[in-house]
Amino acid sequence: MRVLAIVPAFNEEECLANTVQELTATCPDVDYLIVNDGSSDATPRICDELALSHIDLPVNCGLTAAVKAGMKYALRNGYDAAVQIDSDGQHMPEYIPAMAKAMQDEGADIVIASRNLAGGGAEGARGVGAKLITAFIRQTTGATITDPTSGMRMYDRAMIEKLAHGFDLAPEPDTIALLIRRGAKVIEIPAKMRERQGGTSYLHFMSSIAYMARTCLSILLFQWFR
Amino acid sequence: MSPILRVVLIIGALLALSVVVRKVRKSKIRIADSVYWVCAATLLLVLAIFPGIAFFFSGLLGFLSPSNFVFVVVIALMLLKLFNLACDVSRLTDKVEQLSQEIALSEKELSDKD
Repeated sequence: MRVLAIVPAFNEEECLANTVQELTATCPDVDYLIVNDGSSDATPRICDELALSHIDLPVNCGLTAAVKAGMKYALRNGYDAAVQIDSDGQHMPEYIPAMAKAMQDEGADIVIASRNLAGGGAEGARGVGAKLITAFIRQTTGATITDPTSGMRMYDRAMIEKLAHGFDLAPEPDTIALLIRRGAKVIEIPAKMRERQGGTSYLHFMSSIAYMARTCLSILLFQWFR
Repeated sequence: MSPILRVVLIIGALLALSVVVRKVRKSKIRIADSVYWVCAATLLLVLAIFPGIAFFFSGLLGFLSPSNFVFVVVIALMLLKLFNLACDVSRLTDKVEQLSQEIALSEKELSDKD
């Protein structure tokens, strides 16, 4: 099973090199692709100097477009599965083989690395938001996703095709809900995650309100019409 | 606030909601961009169903008629969206320019290599 790790990176000069080093040291069989999302810092220079496998988006397009570019790469190069790994080092690559094994053994379309199953999970306002999304997904699809906001998700070939070509299919919880309703099998494995190692998150405090509004509206209203 | 204005508001808001849903279904608008329209339509729906809100605020702000308050809300919503759209267009213009420059430069690089 050929697995591609998609590493979206926007202004991640501090931790990108470490993240990739850990990835290649822990999982030598797993290929990776850094998607530099129009970074304005040293991220593209680091990619060139260390000869890391990467593509550069000329302008900043956002996480969804960056992951979509990675999905297109995975599709064109015939990978069987693609896993999203954050460049800030919070995702531990040692779980990738376990995710791939779970995908094969259980015939799953999507495998999510769940902090909650490992006894952790987001805390504070983020934890409340995540629990709310879990409840909404359970109400609308019947499936229980304990860690819907985990960014570490592995997609099989069929899902890669959907994410590479679909309109407005963000690598976010509402897409997971939509794909479950369309018949995708989603499983979770327990995984620990680290605190962010540096850099700035895609989800700042202000945009987290917009994030929740979009996610909830998508799951509760638009899911029925898409 | 006349009953006719309330009925028009309700019909208008429901119409707007159905248009938004149809556009999302046909992949003509991203969900992130539809959030504003769903919220705005819901706000007008609430104002039409509970006229007490408009009465309260027109008394508070010194409007002669509650319907004037509703008009001010609609105008404010439009100005807000208009300004946000202007910002979006500026950003998009800049991105298109940068993309054109990138394509032009990489074509030159490619042809120089040949």
